[in-house]
Amino acid sequence: MAKSGGQAVTQELIVEATDISLAYRRTRHRVSSLKQTAIDTINRRMAYEEFFALKSVSFNIARGETVSIIGRNGAGKSTLLKVIARVLPPTTGRVIVRGHVAPMIELGAGFNPELTGAENIVLYGTLLGRTPKEMKSRIETIADWAGLTEHLDIPIRAYSSGMTARLAFATATDLTPDLLLIDEVLSVGDADFREKSAARTVEMMNSGCAVLLVSHDMDAVERMSTRAIYLENGIQKLSGEPKSVIEAYLSDVHH
Amino acid sequence: MSTMKVYDSSVRQIPVISQVKSIYENRGLLRLLVVRDLTVRYKRSVIGVWWSLLNPLFTTAVLYYVFNTVFKSKLPGGAPFLPYLLSGVLLITLFNQGLTMGADAIATGAGVLTKVHVRPEIFAASASISSAINFLIGLIPLTIVLAIYHRTPTWHFPILLLVIFCMTLFTTGLSLLLAIAYINFDDSRSLINIFLMALQYMTPIFYPITLLGPHTRDVIQLNPLYSFLQIFRHEFGNVGVSTLANWEIMFGCSLVAFFGGFYIFSKRWPKVVAKL
Repeated sequence: MAKSGGQAVTQELIVEATDISLAYRRTRHRVSSLKQTAIDTINRRMAYEEFFALKSVSFNIARGETVSIIGRNGAGKSTLLKVIARVLPPTTGRVIVRGHVAPMIELGAGFNPELTGAENIVLYGTLLGRTPKEMKSRIETIADWAGLTEHLDIPIRAYSSGMTARLAFATATDLTPDLLLIDEVLSVGDADFREKSAARTVEMMNSGCAVLLVSHDMDAVERMSTRAIYLENGIQKLSGEPKSVIEAYLSDVHH
Repeated sequence: MSTMKVYDSSVRQIPVISQVKSIYENRGLLRLLVVRDLTVRYKRSVIGVWWSLLNPLFTTAVLYYVFNTVFKSKLPGGAPFLPYLLSGVLLITLFNQGLTMGADAIATGAGVLTKVHVRPEIFAASASISSAINFLIGLIPLTIVLAIYHRTPTWHFPILLLVIFCMTLFTTGLSLLLAIAYINFDDSRSLINIFLMALQYMTPIFYPITLLGPHTRDVIQLNPLYSFLQIFRHEFGNVGVSTLANWEIMFGCSLVAFFGGFYIFSKRWPKVVAKL
């Protein structure tokens, strides 16, 4: 795929990832015990190897675009998300991300079961990069969207998993970000909620935010994305029009 | 449009300074986390605020019975044992809580910390700060116990805030290192618990340091918690004396733990996240 050579004058680039690599040293046999590490160190048996989770990956995402990352498990998809979410700095290369980033994480990961729904909205929203003051003013709107207005003052340990998921989704998607990061399309909650959340996701995509989607669901990738990137062993094997990239990936998988 | 936040990975981050700056910039979140810790502990439990006091008071009661009644321990100069003991228990609780809560928050927060750009150091700092608030609440029963022995807090007790400040730096820095150990090594938790227990016994909580031989005493005096405790006892209840060396060790160890912890964490954390 040839990169578009034209100057990006008309498109506002939200993500510019240039030649990013991520390397780390890992032990040859996975040691996770202090005892074993001590023994191996004494016996000088610690064998490290340089491992590239990502190798020279470059891509841009413009406002309004949805880019999907596909590839086998361990191909570097989650690592790439971490780099774009600025959780992990790239070893080499450069990433520029403009604007507010909203990661859709496992729903409820930032929740505290002992706090009330309202308290969790504020805490979760603040974790996602907004201010407590801003979040406090949004409590009612968010609860209303999630259909939980009457349950705002009880600790969420009393919530059903569906209610928790609704609250988390409503909080995470309250503000339309400039960049939305999705790790697997969400399929939680009852049918009604799934429909509502899918509609909200599409609404956000259409409202001009850029989306980076990681998924194993090829139907969703083909349906939602404007471009797909196929990663293999940390290398960008192919990128371009979703349909052809998916075909290439699937034919590799089936061999 | 012009105020849009821009992240550029090529902008060099200076360790410690960038981390402290990030904590400051996210002080709203820090406050929320402290409030969360305190709320979870107090508001929801039946006996409320007193819950935080119950643990140190109960520990003190047990130790008091064992050492005062069973072993008939005596402090030199006939100083009352109970305030001596309670101040020791409160201080060691401050240390243990700040350290382990902070490390646990980071080690168990992977679901958020590997996906959302939020500095884990904020979690360590919030644990230390909420432990410090618990400690301040614990000063109420200590004042009561002092009163029983016809003692009052010293006029210079606000110096205590310095002790608390140093302890916050100390536990924040150490808990970052502990978090890395927790995540990297599955068996580190039990080893660390043994180490913490040893450290606790090496701190004169329920025995006077004069009980020990000169060599053991020299070793114990190197334990930073000993210096924290001496200063606390001296400054608050005028129980025992603190020396200049105690102050030097307290400041020295807190600063080393803080800067060392932050620096090492800034280097190790990306490697940990990459593997998670």
